[in-house]
Amino acid sequence: MREPTQDPEVLIQHYLEDRLTETEAGALLAMLQADPALAQRLTEQLNLDAMLSEVSAGATAAPAAPVLRPVLRRTRWLPVALAAAAAACVTLAGTWLIRPTHDAEATTNAVAVLMRGVNAEWEGGRSPLVGTPLTPGLLRLKRGLAQIEFYQGARVTVEGPAELELLSASEARCTSGRLSAHVPPQARGFRIQTPKGTVVDLGTDFGLDLNTPEAQVHVFKGEVELHPGGSAMQPLKEGEAMLLADTARRLAADQRAFASLENLDERTAESQRMAFEDWLKSAASWNADPTLLLHLDFQDSSHTRTLLNHALLSPGVPAGSIVGCQWTQGRWPGKRALEFRNVSDRVRLSIPGEHEALTLAAWVRVDGLDRAFNSLFMVEGYKNGAVHWQITRDGKLRLGLAGRLGHPGRDHDTEAILTPERFGQWLHLATCVDPAAKEVRHYLNGSLTARVSRPVMFPLRMPLAELGNWNNGGHGGATEIRHFSGLMDEFLLFRRVLSEAEIRRLAR
Amino acid sequence: MTSHETRAAQLFLAHHDFVKGVALKYAPWPGLMEDIAQQVFLEFIGKEQRWDLERDLRPLLATMTRHVAMRLWRERTREKPEVVQKLAEHIRQLAEERDAEPRYETEIGLLRECLQKLPEKSRELVQLYYYHDIATPEIAGQLAMKADTVCRALSRVRDKLRECIQRQIQKGGPVHA
Repeated sequence: MREPTQDPEVLIQHYLEDRLTETEAGALLAMLQADPALAQRLTEQLNLDAMLSEVSAGATAAPAAPVLRPVLRRTRWLPVALAAAAAACVTLAGTWLIRPTHDAEATTNAVAVLMRGVNAEWEGGRSPLVGTPLTPGLLRLKRGLAQIEFYQGARVTVEGPAELELLSASEARCTSGRLSAHVPPQARGFRIQTPKGTVVDLGTDFGLDLNTPEAQVHVFKGEVELHPGGSAMQPLKEGEAMLLADTARRLAADQRAFASLENLDERTAESQRMAFEDWLKSAASWNADPTLLLHLDFQDSSHTRTLLNHALLSPGVPAGSIVGCQWTQGRWPGKRALEFRNVSDRVRLSIPGEHEALTLAAWVRVDGLDRAFNSLFMVEGYKNGAVHWQITRDGKLRLGLAGRLGHPGRDHDTEAILTPERFGQWLHLATCVDPAAKEVRHYLNGSLTARVSRPVMFPLRMPLAELGNWNNGGHGGATEIRHFSGLMDEFLLFRRVLSEAEIRRLAR
Repeated sequence: MTSHETRAAQLFLAHHDFVKGVALKYAPWPGLMEDIAQQVFLEFIGKEQRWDLERDLRPLLATMTRHVAMRLWRERTREKPEVVQKLAEHIRQLAEERDAEPRYETEIGLLRECLQKLPEKSRELVQLYYYHDIATPEIAGQLAMKADTVCRALSRVRDKLRECIQRQIQKGGPVHA
């Protein structure tokens, strides 16, 4: 236990952190009773503390994380009921601390990140999306371009077909394909192994072509070292090229031979434009589906606070009302999305009727899982067949179905699939309630990730619901905070079970 | 959601900082202000059909916030040891007896500007404590300082910010969108 302090500044700080001991609380009370100026000071400090907490919570981009393992000190998002329970349970020998949460520090094995893809198609099991952290292992690019940034700083653009194995944050092995590399001074020493030798970069721009039998290295800027298999190291300077199979000959570097790897900005923009146009066509094609209850495409104008329902044959399902959320860019330039960030942010919905079968689908970008339950789509309260589609703090996609007609409620979870490596990426989530198969199925990016048995079926209800938030339906007492942190740019709700092919189509 | 409900939600959000200011006045307990604001929002929307949205909503929101604040205050403090409850009650009475109107909504805009003017070391401290939610003993470990020293340093930073806000108010304050 720490030494009790008599310093009013320290006591006020302990008060603000909600960690005064009983002795300290007694001392502070005596000081406040004796000194009105100190009372004034305390309320000023509390006021500033509250404002600083709000300003920091609303920051869109927090500074880089400090080295220190974060020990969370605050209870500001903790539901009142939980806080009271925690306070009641956690009593430390003569103190009444609300114990700070010691989160286990997350780790990652990633060594690089996929920054861009232009018509990129992958094969062989790994199909990373743009923004995906990449762990060591083989990447097979069937076609298209992929730009990879290694954590040490080197940036490599690969053209498919190619095979690139990531070895570490500063080393890769390329066995086929063509690539260009930009290696800034911080990444000096970046190595690429090939079947015919190793290229060690000394801070430069170079190209490597393994599509020809003799394998070529071209240096456009700076200098590289070639370590051909079985022969001495050869330095290669700016403007020079060499065949790895014949290190006796020097050629002139030919940047035109790598032109297909250039202009990635323009090509990315073009690729995004085409993807957006494809989506515009396919999104509209769902609207006439007679089982579609709700289709929010989030393309409503920025001054409106309403999300139109584009389901043509469900006139009884009204538009959603936006509360708090701000408009922002979605998956591509031109695609609009709503940002859910604050405790008030939500889209209010009303879906009449009762439904045995359901499919929920959404495109989301998860920015963090700050709450115990992070709402995607939740019916008010939790009773009488209410649907709660959410993500748990540990990254499980969950469909909670409240009990009805004497049957108990039940959660239907995936494994932890929405882990920090997926934060900041656009993801397609879908969940089906299948009364025929008596199960709930979850999909991530069009792939089945979990089937959970649901032995008893009963009709589900969604009279009042919220996207990205929840409320307890007007019951007294405080409401648990369950708002989503991230973006959403499309939401569909069907009163039938979509096939796997249809879900893959939605996730394209 | 009806258009009336939508309008009610929009009006609430326009008064969000006002509600927080009232919450802080009636429940000056760390971390409680956000919970109160959330609860007032839900109760306000839950009964929206009762409200005349053409009238000034401040008196209504102030009353609702005071009731919610008192309720959550009791829930939050009743589990505490007796001496802590006495301290909390004393602080609450002090805050309530202050004549000054809640200044939260005026000051939070000024605070953002004042943060930019802090010296680097002070800003670093603010980032560790407020942005990264790291407790003062852990900050002390990282910065090789005593925990009490970190507490005093945070207190001084808030003093500086308070002075800066006061200066801005005296100057008439900057124009905020």
